[in-house]
Amino acid sequence: MAAAIETKQLTKSYKSRIHGRVNVVDALDLHVEEGEIFGFLGPNGAGKTTTIKMLLGIIYPTSGEGYVLGKEIGDMEVHKLISYLPERPYYYEHMTGLELLKFYGSLFGLTDQKQFEALLEKVNLHRDMSKTISQYSKGMQQRVGLAQSLLNDPKLLFLDEPTGGLDPIAHREIRDLILSFRDEGRTVFISSHELSEVELICDRVAIINRGIIERQGKLTDLLRGGRIEITVDGVPEQLLKDMRISDANVRTLPSGFLLDMPEENDPNSVIDAVRNQKGTIVSIVPRKKRLEDLFVETVTSKPGSTGKKTLTVEETTGAPK
Amino acid sequence: MRSIFSIATTTVGEAIRRRVLLIILLIGVLFLVVAPGLGVLSARSETTVLRGMMLGIIQLTSAVIAIVLTVYMIPNEIERRTIYTILSKPVQRWQFLIGKYLGAVLALGLMMLLMTTVLVFTFWLQQRDASAVADLVKAPVMYFVQMSLLAAVAIFFSTFVSPLVNFFLTGGMYLLGSLFNPFFQTLSESQGTPALAKVFAQIVNTLLPNFANYNVQNPIINPQTQIQNEAAYYLQVTIYGLFYIGILLVGGILVFDRREV
Amino acid sequence: MKRRLSPLLIGFLALCLIGQGFLQRASIFPRWVRDYSPGEGKMVSEGLSPDQMLFALTGFREMIAGILWVRADSFFDSGNYDAILPVIRLVTILDPKQIDVYATGMWHIGYNFTDEEQRSDRRYIPSALALGKEGARQNDKTYEMYFETGWMWYHKIDDSYPNAVKWFETAQQQKDMLTARKNLLSNAYERNGEVDKGVDLLYRLFDDAKANAAKKDAAYGDRQNRDTLENKLDTMLVRTVQRGYVAQKEGRPLTGYDVNPPFDVGFSVKASVVEPRVIRFEGTWNVLPVGTRIRAVLKDADYPNAEPAGMKWDMSNSVNLDPPRDKTFMQDQLFVRNRRFNRKVDMSKDPTMYPFTSDRYLLEFYYNPRSAPPHIQDKFSWNGEGMTDKNFLNTEIRPGQRVVYATLELTKDQILRRGEWQDRVPVVRTKNYAEKATNADDVLLDIPSLRTK
Repeated sequence: MAAAIETKQLTKSYKSRIHGRVNVVDALDLHVEEGEIFGFLGPNGAGKTTTIKMLLGIIYPTSGEGYVLGKEIGDMEVHKLISYLPERPYYYEHMTGLELLKFYGSLFGLTDQKQFEALLEKVNLHRDMSKTISQYSKGMQQRVGLAQSLLNDPKLLFLDEPTGGLDPIAHREIRDLILSFRDEGRTVFISSHELSEVELICDRVAIINRGIIERQGKLTDLLRGGRIEITVDGVPEQLLKDMRISDANVRTLPSGFLLDMPEENDPNSVIDAVRNQKGTIVSIVPRKKRLEDLFVETVTSKPGSTGKKTLTVEETTGAPK
Repeated sequence: MRSIFSIATTTVGEAIRRRVLLIILLIGVLFLVVAPGLGVLSARSETTVLRGMMLGIIQLTSAVIAIVLTVYMIPNEIERRTIYTILSKPVQRWQFLIGKYLGAVLALGLMMLLMTTVLVFTFWLQQRDASAVADLVKAPVMYFVQMSLLAAVAIFFSTFVSPLVNFFLTGGMYLLGSLFNPFFQTLSESQGTPALAKVFAQIVNTLLPNFANYNVQNPIINPQTQIQNEAAYYLQVTIYGLFYIGILLVGGILVFDRREV
Repeated sequence: MKRRLSPLLIGFLALCLIGQGFLQRASIFPRWVRDYSPGEGKMVSEGLSPDQMLFALTGFREMIAGILWVRADSFFDSGNYDAILPVIRLVTILDPKQIDVYATGMWHIGYNFTDEEQRSDRRYIPSALALGKEGARQNDKTYEMYFETGWMWYHKIDDSYPNAVKWFETAQQQKDMLTARKNLLSNAYERNGEVDKGVDLLYRLFDDAKANAAKKDAAYGDRQNRDTLENKLDTMLVRTVQRGYVAQKEGRPLTGYDVNPPFDVGFSVKASVVEPRVIRFEGTWNVLPVGTRIRAVLKDADYPNAEPAGMKWDMSNSVNLDPPRDKTFMQDQLFVRNRRFNRKVDMSKDPTMYPFTSDRYLLEFYYNPRSAPPHIQDKFSWNGEGMTDKNFLNTEIRPGQRVVYATLELTKDQILRRGEWQDRVPVVRTKNYAEKATNADDVLLDIPSLRTK
């Protein structure tokens, strides 16, 4: 499949008075397939927004290469095929929802009012299209932001924290919309802290920490390594220990024991052994590895082995002070 | 061009809703309305005082509006991230800058038009002299060119300095630009001035924007003064203004193109 | 990924830079200096507060001038005349095209500073004239300042008539000169003894007035103007004959004309310092019809730029609103009734106007028929041909004119009644002064004829 986004050693560095030259984004090798939902994760100040800005041509890389939809980053032709929903966006408050779409549409040369109305209907704002942005709730503003991101029928969407600050219902609505984008064949690049959301909808993710991509790949691959917890009663602890299951833990409970083992092991052997001893299987709980676990594990580990200096920066606007 | 026009009209819509600008405009209009009272206080030369006051009010208010309108324009867009949703579209940075500038100038023009209308109406109530009113309107037209130049200065500085610094820079440039002509005239006519100082002053007078060129109110306030080829002078200073606006906008584009937002 | 500098943009920038520089230097700046600058390249540097100066320098000078002038009005109303002077100076610097300020300033300086008895402080007149000259320089395309300066010479100074003529003539040359004011030049010619010029001007003005009055849309004022000029011209022509002027020109003897023989005015005067700084002038003037005003001047014997019965009024070209405060200059008119005059001049209430710092003072008495009313001039004519005085006729101090001029001297101690004069009344008199006879007072009128055979 063709790559929607491809970067090779993409680097962005700034001059710092104390630390000299520091790399906010360090030799990034990012790969996003067309038609997938890609999650771009990282703690605050990891370099997520800087990366997105480079890909959008808003800021300029210090070194390395980047390609969006096969064209070098900054190519104006590409901008006709992509869209961007920034984190905590601000829209011109005096405009109505419809006027806002008209304005952004005019930047693409679009003038069809019906198209704008249809988009607003798609994001469930058609009843509020005549209200001004100042009258919109957070969720409505986010939805109009999504609407503007669909104006040019983009092949690739950059969504930065699309569900930030929204209530659970709005979360779900946005989530369903994003899924529908994939169904329509679009590529979605999401930067988010909502790991549960990302886990639900993303095909592939990358985790960036201190400017370096620590993990990148399919979610299913990255989340391998779940465990099974079997709670038993009526058998001695030694029975469980004697099973010599590797990487297994036995914990004593108020009544009984808890066997915690990797999911690769067949639980039936444990069940049979307990039954043979006339014991009771109280419960069997599979615990899949969660993205949160992976994320925490990644960001709390030592930084990449390249030994390059990285610096955590404030990513919201401009260069570090 | 379409993008520039869209950005410009959006900028106008935003500008005319900014409270601080509306307050400044309201104060200016109020002063215009009460100015005839001041003219009456001067039993002698009532019309002279009235004309001088009203034109001075328009010029001063317009300068404040021009500066306040433009120093925050680009930094606000960056801080609120509205610029990102625009630059992520097929809009070049220079189109964005030009669109913002044109929007600022349009908004400024609308506000000045309102003040000029109040001026005309108030003056007409006092004097009922159509030719005097027509004469009076020439000054605000030149002030508009002057303020467009001032707005271009502010936009240029806003591409690389913070709003507070820009406020003082632009205000300072307006002050200096208004001083250059009379200062240079004094210097060049004075016998005791060293030649080097005269050359330096000449360079400064040539290179930096001369806002004094647009202070054409004196013959309007004192109508007995006769100016030859007034229209030619107006045309020349307008072309001068366009040249200088071009310089500032190009300079702004060159800086903005390289700027991290 | 570096952004390359666009050669097109750089080229455009260079073009604009050159274009604006060329325009500024070649055309805009010279025109600005000529048409819009504050005039004479002055940078306002004194008398304004910092914020006012800031406003003035940044192109709001007319506005500041207007505000200051409005304030000046309140000073006029409250009578704070001294406070107006710096305002006048400031406003004329800020906006030299505001003619009204120059004109009002001149009038204020020339006329408003008076003592308790409404005598003008003549020490200010050179400043008034300097202001007028500056105003005319700054507004040289309009008649007004030329006219106002001429008027100061003609009416206030009422002497050195060539100056009045010069300024009125210049005013006349301006395109916007008001028709109604044009005939004042003929008056000035007359005062200057240039009677022919006065008559010629009246003829021209009358022709113009007739043409204007004959127009279809002629206003009432046009017809009135025509009638006034006709009347004036008639009167003037009769006078030129009656006063022997025509005869003189044609070389005919003056026998049989009113001016011949000259009448001896018999001037004499006694000045008594009746109190400190109070002088009583008594004297004779042998002309019965009322209308004679003899000029009396008391000034420092070493008054700078002094001239007989006055001073070099236009001594200054730059405006200095501070008169010589340590000098004394008093000028008053002695009115004659029943061939005598008796006037008390009290200078004790105005010590700032009459400081009396010098040791010696000159008293001058001066009469010029050029300033006389018509009925007196009918006898004396314009150059005093019909007038004489056995003791005090003078033909030198005013070339071409016969005037009466007498001088006396007083000391400081005498005027202030100090030292030996504390208890004695200082009296100075002309040699021919005689105390008046009893009963020769107002009730019985003796009417000799001014016409002698």
